[in-house]
Amino acid sequence: MPDPFAAYSDTVRAHFRTPRNAGGFAAGHERILAGSAGQRRYGREVEFQLQVTAEGRIGDCRYRVYGCPATIALCSLTSEALKGRTPAEAAGFSVVTLAEQLGLPAEKRAAAVTVEDAVRAAAGRYNAAPAISPAVPQLQA
Amino acid sequence: MPEKIIYLDYAATTPVDPRVAQKMAGFLTCEGLFANPASAHTPGRKARGAVEQARMQVAALVNAEPGEIIFTSGATESDNLAIKGAAHFYRDKGRHVVTSRIEHKAVLDTCKQLERDGFEVTYIKPNADGLVEPQAVAQALRPDTVLVSIMHVNNEIGTANDIAAIGAIVHAQGAWFHVDAAQSAGKLPIDLKQMPVDLMSFSGHKVYGPKGIGALYVRSQPHINLDPLIHGGGHEHGLRSGTLATHQIVGMGEAYRIAREEMPKDVTHCSALRQQLWRALHVTVPEALLNGHPSQRVCGILNVGFPGIEGESLLFACHDLAVSSGSACTSTDKAPSFVLRALGRDDQLAGSSIRFSVGRFTTKEEVQTAARIVSEEYHRLQELAPAAG
Repeated sequence: MPDPFAAYSDTVRAHFRTPRNAGGFAAGHERILAGSAGQRRYGREVEFQLQVTAEGRIGDCRYRVYGCPATIALCSLTSEALKGRTPAEAAGFSVVTLAEQLGLPAEKRAAAVTVEDAVRAAAGRYNAAPAISPAVPQLQA
Repeated sequence: MPEKIIYLDYAATTPVDPRVAQKMAGFLTCEGLFANPASAHTPGRKARGAVEQARMQVAALVNAEPGEIIFTSGATESDNLAIKGAAHFYRDKGRHVVTSRIEHKAVLDTCKQLERDGFEVTYIKPNADGLVEPQAVAQALRPDTVLVSIMHVNNEIGTANDIAAIGAIVHAQGAWFHVDAAQSAGKLPIDLKQMPVDLMSFSGHKVYGPKGIGALYVRSQPHINLDPLIHGGGHEHGLRSGTLATHQIVGMGEAYRIAREEMPKDVTHCSALRQQLWRALHVTVPEALLNGHPSQRVCGILNVGFPGIEGESLLFACHDLAVSSGSACTSTDKAPSFVLRALGRDDQLAGSSIRFSVGRFTTKEEVQTAARIVSEEYHRLQELAPAAG
């Protein structure tokens, strides 16, 4: 039987082993945009939080993820890549392209799409309500 | 194997016992008994003697007559020979076969082939403990049932079926009874003079013998006939033609001799390790679920479901352990374990279940380390996950 994990590069392995920015912002944080995608019963679920600075850029990210190693690694890499971008730029960030650059196999495209959808859902809240309110739904710390 | 990998996959295959390897080496080179056991000359007769001694050793472990043991290439071929051989030979008597949904693929795929050949097959659903209930077999039998094939021990969850009870029901109906004993030989007592079994499949490499060798028990009284799968030469009473692989056969014989002599010690050792592993996992991961019956089982297999985490990630996180999983990513057919699904486990739990199987050479330290790794990685992945909705 072929190694089922052979497609995972050293980068993917490293981010799976030690995911960056994992978790959630503590309750009470302001300027948090939250979005989610996927369903656990279908094998992956991602919740993303974007903290937006007063200048309108993403200062920090957090996420929670249930899924395969590729999903976890993509959340980690995406959270790094989003820092410094505007929410609009984050909404256009292609996790699918990132997955391709990492050499992930085609069957992992759905993982990338789920991460992308969660980021887009979070970033989309900025467009909907530029004046961010603490009332924006928050994830548990 | 890399030093740091902990091998807990004895149900997949066992390392060859060094005593077996040493014995086999004497049947390969110019200095050894390499001759064809079918040859009439002196070296050939000596090789034949070694084959017949091995046949006696295999027969002794399961209390059969040596003449009832047919050497094959492994349990898969034995299953094929038993099921296709009996079904086709007795096809004029009936064309109905009974098996269970959690048989090894060697049985299930063979039954699928029989369906293509015009037979009807009933696949019995096991109970929630992973056992095939004798009453369910009784209900599946029909007047035209010619053969029933039920495994002794399930390879994924380790549960042991009540072969005596099932066999009695099958024989009362007048059908033949085949049992795949690849996972039970050397681990559970097998007495074929007492058990109502007509055909039983054995493997060499699950009992610290070499790969590529197995055996089929074919009852002599009452005699059951089989259509052979392989023709040419008439070896093994015409049931399995082909030059006998002396070194493989001798290796299997030695492995079965050791198994017979050391079974009490092996069983005690494996039972203790399995219990140690389950206790350690249960303490550190209280949510962990035991798959299969808690006591009606073989000593070395422990199948545990880990709720709330994704199976491929768990297996990848535990890459220092050589274990098997119900996860889709490790399966060639990309589907959750059909055995665990048949037990009523959902896809998530079937996917995040791990089969640990310990053996003669497993140590307490390895089990302790394995439990720690699984527990740590389980909690790490669980912390990463969103709260379950």
